[in-house]
Amino acid sequence: MPDVYNWQLGRPMTYRFREAHPKWQFAAVFNINRCIACQTCTMACKSTWTFSEGQEHMWWNNVETKPYGGYPHHWDVNTLKLLDKADPGGQKWDGRTATPAAPYGQFTGKTIFEAAAALGKTDEAIGYLPTDDEWTAPNIFEDTPRNRRESELQATSLPEHRTWFFYLQRICNHCTYPACLAACPRNAIYKRPEDGIVLIDEQRCRGYRKCVEQCPYKKPMFRSTTRVSEKCIACYPRIEGTDPISEGEPMETRCMSACVGKIRLQGLIEVGADGRWAVNPDNPLYYMVREEQVALPLYPQFGTEPNIYYIPPRWVPRPYLHQMFGPGADAAIERYAAPSRRLQAVLQLFRTTQRIVHRFEVVNGHKIGEMNVAGKTMELFNDTVVGFDRNGKEIVRQSVMEPLHDRGPKYLNTI
Amino acid sequence: MMSRRVPSRGFAAGLAIVLAAAVVAATTGFLGVMPASSQAQVVQVRAAPSVPRDDPFAAFWNNVQPVDVALSAQNITRPMGGGTVAAVQLRAAHDGKRLYILSEWSDATQDAAIDTTTSFTDAAAVEFPAAGTTRIPSFCMGDPGAGVNIWHWKAAWQRDVDSGFATNRARYANMQVDLYPQDGDTTFQTGLAAGNPLSAQKHGSPVENLVAAQFGTLTNADVQDVGGVGRWKDGRWRVLFVRSLAGAEGSPSFAPGGKTNAAFAVWNGSDGQRDGIKSVSQFVDLQISGEKIVRKPSSFAPAIIAFAGIVGGLAVIAVFGVFAERRKRV
Repeated sequence: MPDVYNWQLGRPMTYRFREAHPKWQFAAVFNINRCIACQTCTMACKSTWTFSEGQEHMWWNNVETKPYGGYPHHWDVNTLKLLDKADPGGQKWDGRTATPAAPYGQFTGKTIFEAAAALGKTDEAIGYLPTDDEWTAPNIFEDTPRNRRESELQATSLPEHRTWFFYLQRICNHCTYPACLAACPRNAIYKRPEDGIVLIDEQRCRGYRKCVEQCPYKKPMFRSTTRVSEKCIACYPRIEGTDPISEGEPMETRCMSACVGKIRLQGLIEVGADGRWAVNPDNPLYYMVREEQVALPLYPQFGTEPNIYYIPPRWVPRPYLHQMFGPGADAAIERYAAPSRRLQAVLQLFRTTQRIVHRFEVVNGHKIGEMNVAGKTMELFNDTVVGFDRNGKEIVRQSVMEPLHDRGPKYLNTI
Repeated sequence: MMSRRVPSRGFAAGLAIVLAAAVVAATTGFLGVMPASSQAQVVQVRAAPSVPRDDPFAAFWNNVQPVDVALSAQNITRPMGGGTVAAVQLRAAHDGKRLYILSEWSDATQDAAIDTTTSFTDAAAVEFPAAGTTRIPSFCMGDPGAGVNIWHWKAAWQRDVDSGFATNRARYANMQVDLYPQDGDTTFQTGLAAGNPLSAQKHGSPVENLVAAQFGTLTNADVQDVGGVGRWKDGRWRVLFVRSLAGAEGSPSFAPGGKTNAAFAVWNGSDGQRDGIKSVSQFVDLQISGEKIVRKPSSFAPAIIAFAGIVGGLAVIAVFGVFAERRKRV
C-alpha cells in the first residue's frame, strides 16, 4: 500500500490509495464549550435528510454525552480497544516540538489501517459492525448522573463539581483519508475533487457494509428498506450554492446553520498543489485550526485525518482530552481560556450568517476591559470582525461586544 | 487353541474388506455421487422432456447424477474469507429450450432477512464466461479482456418473491411513528431513486443477472432473464437456476453439443458472508448433450448387489477357512 502524509499525525502512514487531494476541503469548527445539547442540529438534519422509513435509527448528526454516551453505543471505546489490542500500550505521541508539518508532534502508535496489518487482518482497517441495539436510543439517559466513584478522573477546573461530562457533536468528518472509502470493495464511495465531501454512490452500493464496519466514527449507516448504506452528505446542495435559498453562493449545512448555541462555524479550506492546506490566516477555519491551534481533530490517532475540529471543553480531565483530541488539547484550552485579540474577534463569527465566510478582517475597536486568567492579565477590545464571501463581498459584520441599545422611557412599556 | 486362531484372523480381515467394499458400493449407488477429481471436473447437462421449475427438491432430480464440486475461501482480493462450505453438489438438465442448474449445499440456518446492520442473506451464484469471450476469463470475477456473466440467487430476494418485501412497519409491530413525511415519494428512498436494483422491493425472479470484468466491477445486466427458486430443507439449500438456452442478446448462449465453463459460489449470511467473503469453486466444465436423462433403476438394485456381494464374500471366506483348517489337521 502506498504511503500518504497525515499532518495530524505528523508522519506518513499507509493507505489504500495514493495521495490525492481536493481543491477545497469541507471543514468546520465545533466549540464544545458552548454546546447545550439542545439537539436542534440533530433535528435539522433529521428533518432534512433522514425522515423516511428505514432511516429511523439514522442520525447523520448526533450530539452525545461524554464520557458515558455514544451513538452507536460505545463506538469510540470499541475502536480504541481494538487499537489497544493491536498495539498494547503503544498508542502514544512522541512529544516533539511542533512544526507546521507536525503541529501536534508525531504519533508513534498505530492507525486503524496499520492496526489491521499488525493484527494480520485482511481488511483495510480494523472495525466492527454495531448491532441493531447499539443504534437505538441516541442520547437517552446519557445525562443521568452516575456514582462519582465510577470514574477515577476528576474535573480539573470546577472542584465544586466532582462529576464531569460534556457534549460531543458529531457528523461525518469528510476525512482526508476516509476509511469508508478505502473499505468499499466496489469503489462506490468517492471524495469529491471540488470540496472533499465524501459520498456513497447510491446506485453502485450493494449493501456489503464494509464502510459501516471500517469507519471508526460509525457515520455510514445501513438502511434496511433500500438495502444499501447512506451517510451524511454535508448538505452538498448548500455547499455548491445550488440550494434554492443559497442564491448561487456557498452556504453552511443545515446542522451548522440551525445551531442555537452558536457553537459551529463551517467553511471550505483551500488545499494547495502539494496537498497541504494553502496558508491562509485570513480564513477563519484555517486561523483557528492551524494558526491558533485552538480547534483539534477528533481522535486523530485513528489516522483518517478528520475535518471537523473541536475546541476542547475546559473542565474535562486532561488525560481524557489527550486521548480524544491528541496532545494539542492543553495548548488549545490555554488559548481558548485567554484568547488573543484576533481570536476574540473570530469567535464572534459563529452563527452570524448562513453564508460561508471565506475571509475575515478585524477592525480595531476601543478597550472595554481586562480580566485575570490563570494569573495573566487579558485585555478585552471591542473589535469588529468582518466576514467576506468567496467573491470578496461583505456578508457579515459583528463586534466583540454585543450592541447595546438603550430603550428610552418613552418605549419602556411598548411590549 | 493356537491352531484355531489363524483361520479366524483371516476370516475377520477378509470380512472387513468385503464389507467395506460393499458399503462403498451401496453408498455411492444410493447417493449416486460421482467421485470428484481435482481438475477438469465435468457436469453433464442431459436432456429431459420437461424439468420441474418450481421445486428444487422434486423427485426428477434423483435421476440426475450429482457432482460434488469443492469450494474454498476467497483469498485473492479484499474482502477475503468464506470457505465455511466445503462443497456444492451440482445437478443440471435441459429441456431443449431452457438450461437448469441445481446447486445444493449444507447450511444449518436459513438467513433470508436483511433487517439490520448485522444481518446478511444466504446466497448462491453460478458464473460463466461472458458472451463473445475468445478465451477463458479469470474465474475470479473475470478480467478486463474477458468478462463473466453471473447468476446470483439471494435468499432475501426469494423471501421477497414468496411473501413480499418486509417493511419496517411490518417488522417492528410495536414501532410508533407519527408520520413519515413525503411517504411514498421515492426521492427519499435514495437507493431506489438512484435506480439501484438492490433497493427494488419487487423482483421478477430471486436470481439477479450480473456482469463483471474484474474485481469491483460487478454490475446488474441490462436483461434480467434468469429465473429460479431456492428452498431450504433439513439443513440443506437447493437452488435451481433457470434460463433459456439461447439467452438474450449479449448473454452467453448454450446449445446441446456445446461445452462451457462454470464456477460456483455460496454465501452463509449468518457468518457475515457477502461480496468476496464466500466459498467459491474454480471453473468446471458444463457439458451440454443431446443424450437423455435415463430414469434410474429401482433403488433396491444397489442393495441387492451389495447383499449378493456380502453373501458371496462370506462363502469364499468360509471355503477358505475350511481348507485352512483341513491343512492344519493334515
